[in-house]
Amino acid sequence: MTQEGNDMGLELKGLKKILGGRVIIDDLHLSVAPGEMISLLGPSGCGKTTTLRMIAGFLAVDAGQIFVAGEDVTALGPDKRPSAMVFQNYALWPHMSVSKNVAYPLKIKGLSKPEIAEKVDAALALVNLLHHKDSRPGQISGGEQQRVALARALVQEPNILLLDEPLSNLDAKLREKVREDIRQLQRRLGITTVIVTHDQEEALSISDRVAVMNNGRIEQFSTPHELYNAPATEYVATFIGSLNRFEGDLVSGLIQPGAHVTGIRPEDLTLSMQAFEGSHPGVVELIIPRGHFYEVVVKRSDATFRIFASENIPAVGANVHVGIKKSLRYLNGKLVA
Amino acid sequence: MAKFFKSINLSRIGINLFIALLAVFILGPLVWLGVHAFAADWHYPNLYPSGLTMRWWSKVFLDSALATAIKNSLIISPIVVIISMFICLPAAYAAGRMNFFGRKAFMITLFSANSFPKIGLFAAIATLYYALNLMGTFVGVVIIQLLGTIIYMTWIPAAAFAAVPKNLEEAARDAGASKFTVFRTITLRLAMPGILVAIVMSFLASFDEAQGTYLVGAPAIFTMPTEMYSLVQNYPIQVAAVFSILLAIPSVLLLGLARKHIMGGQLAEGFQLK
Amino acid sequence: MISLRRKKNKEGSLTSQGGGPSLLGLGLSLPPLLIVLVFVGLPILIGLTFSLGFTTGPNRVIAIIGQQIHKKNHWWGTLSAYNDVIHDSRFLGDLGLTIFVTVLSTTLVLLLALSIALYQRLIGGRKAAVLVTLSIVPLFVPVVISAWAIHTFYGGDGFMKTFFTHFGVDFPTLTSTPSAIVIGTVWTSLPFAILMISSGLQAIPDALIESAKDCGASVFRVIANILVPLAKTPIIIAASFTSIGILGSFTIPLFLGPNQPTMLGVEISNFFGAYNRPQQSLVMAFIVFAIASGIAVLYVRSNIKSARESGRL
Repeated sequence: MTQEGNDMGLELKGLKKILGGRVIIDDLHLSVAPGEMISLLGPSGCGKTTTLRMIAGFLAVDAGQIFVAGEDVTALGPDKRPSAMVFQNYALWPHMSVSKNVAYPLKIKGLSKPEIAEKVDAALALVNLLHHKDSRPGQISGGEQQRVALARALVQEPNILLLDEPLSNLDAKLREKVREDIRQLQRRLGITTVIVTHDQEEALSISDRVAVMNNGRIEQFSTPHELYNAPATEYVATFIGSLNRFEGDLVSGLIQPGAHVTGIRPEDLTLSMQAFEGSHPGVVELIIPRGHFYEVVVKRSDATFRIFASENIPAVGANVHVGIKKSLRYLNGKLVA
Repeated sequence: MAKFFKSINLSRIGINLFIALLAVFILGPLVWLGVHAFAADWHYPNLYPSGLTMRWWSKVFLDSALATAIKNSLIISPIVVIISMFICLPAAYAAGRMNFFGRKAFMITLFSANSFPKIGLFAAIATLYYALNLMGTFVGVVIIQLLGTIIYMTWIPAAAFAAVPKNLEEAARDAGASKFTVFRTITLRLAMPGILVAIVMSFLASFDEAQGTYLVGAPAIFTMPTEMYSLVQNYPIQVAAVFSILLAIPSVLLLGLARKHIMGGQLAEGFQLK
Repeated sequence: MISLRRKKNKEGSLTSQGGGPSLLGLGLSLPPLLIVLVFVGLPILIGLTFSLGFTTGPNRVIAIIGQQIHKKNHWWGTLSAYNDVIHDSRFLGDLGLTIFVTVLSTTLVLLLALSIALYQRLIGGRKAAVLVTLSIVPLFVPVVISAWAIHTFYGGDGFMKTFFTHFGVDFPTLTSTPSAIVIGTVWTSLPFAILMISSGLQAIPDALIESAKDCGASVFRVIANILVPLAKTPIIIAASFTSIGILGSFTIPLFLGPNQPTMLGVEISNFFGAYNRPQQSLVMAFIVFAIASGIAVLYVRSNIKSARESGRL
């Protein structure tokens, strides 16, 4: 449903936003390829929603430019921008039926009645909601409301689809299914998509690339794989996944005082009852069942480690050996190769 | 969003002009009348009075008929409000919290009673009043004024009671409070803003009621508003102005107290029939 | 969907009661109901029989005192008094004026209230607060004072005339004209309409407006397609209460209106008192009541419809 031939997706250049005297967003740059699905990920207050609202046009930028498909849309209001948004609480109009909700943007564009009916049906078919055409938003479930909101956005054939915490109002079971549905739909339509979320699992599993935000800046913008395995900053490393963080350097398998910060993922540690090459002895202090694996806390002479293990779990107090497979090194918060 | 609309909406000049016009429309008559209370002589077409005086104030306070009217008003209205609370608040609780048979009919009955033209009702009520010997009596005036308070004292608190979240009461019950304690410390407290608005609106309805009070009370009992009727005909405008200021004081005081809740939607909420 | 928060509370409290203590509720609601039935319902009923020519029983005294009393000539009464009234050119003039004032004033009040409330909802800020506060002021002022203040303000030696004379403009004397009644009724009716409509508009979540903007809707469309339909019930409540209030108004037309024709509220009082024709007076009251009931039906229907749509019924 996207327009053909846009060779550029979304480009944010040096965005700045000040709200209530506080700098919320500062010098933010972001470049999204056409058809790409990206997430803005960060804790609440990091500026991700502010960024999304600037892209949508609900907030004016204090500096910088926004390009959609190569066109500068910075000065345009939300009604004139080629983006469509799915709101966090869906924002369906309770006084209109499902099909009226979806038809509304087309009505505004001044499309003919048969044309509208055709497109609305197509959009509702896309989200499997044709059978709820005449229902009111209040009469359908949360997941269904979410799909109506999606249909209302897609029917506009936007260049950019914006999703504000799209899964936050759904229960855990439904969330995974809807996440897959959105991903498949996005792939099929090839529509450039920006998702705002605070849920890292959601961001990593759905996006082509993830922008991790902190204090109004993008800390890192890369693929989920890179984000996890080579977090560019200490902040990203601690925010994504779990991390053993030590002030000091790793010297011949031991944490020693030093200028760097060393980070080790719990799954990058090897736990064994016998000594092996590069391992050092320690004592099990605590075992926490975490579902399909265990978190084992081991105290060594140099430091205490959290280790993820799924088999051969020792008992508390047991003497074990811990080896380090892989570590990350940071200087002043930045990754050192 | 505000900024977005601002850029394409009414220009600044337009809105300022609108504010000025509304201010003249609303405040103009009040200020004009208020100034008269202190004016010695004022002849058309002078923009200013010939001098300022407090003469009219002493005239009002020394006039025994006017003083009696003030006293009557200050006695009758509180009595009306208290009776109204006793009669209506339990009903309001029932209408707000219980789904009893005929609940909607009850609310609609009160509403339709309110939509019969007051002056017609007062004409019709004379027959009944003569039969019950209520004409020209204190009780008769109280009842007439009570009628105008019922819709406020029932509808607004009903909405306020209905809006008290059930789980807050359950939490209090869970904490060991008896049913009555829960009602007193949780339900009543949370519904208080609505009840306060109802009390203020009822007081004003009673305090301002003129037509019925005149028909039933005159010539035995005069209240401030009914006195106004004769005042504007028999006294210079300045006396009416002084009297108006006196008459407005309780309203302004009371509404000042409840302003936050009235503008906060308690009044509006009360008129949604649910 | 974002439902309006207050409604949710209400829903929770009502449905959780289920069947509830039906008798207790009915019992608690009896006192105000009895008062209304005895002091409103009964007089209206007696008045209705009197207007139909029943001149015995409770109506005996008034039938003796009053003039031009028609006595019933069928078992159900007579329509002679109604006939008198609807063929009275004076009544027809009054009715015309009453309907004219009611329609015009209600329209003006709604337009004014809606534009101020929309300004407050869409733009907000200090100016909006000033506008709303100004509109609420009449609530603080007893009707008798309002009527008298407006009387002096627009009168022959009032401020408007005085002020404009100094600019060489002859401002018309509005007092004792239908215009003054309209001014007075708009003045006194504005606060209630503002409170209703503004609270209705404030309850609409921002996201519902933003999503429409996102779909390309202009300000005008947001107002016409989203805000006004979502605030329909409070708007209709404001319209019905305002028009019913104006329809039966007495003090405002008495102080501000012309002697002839005048609004029916004043004429009902004149016929009852000055002309001593109580039967015709009551007939007029019933005619006003009939019109008011028509408006009331709209109000009740709108409330029930909105309750059904939001799933409360």
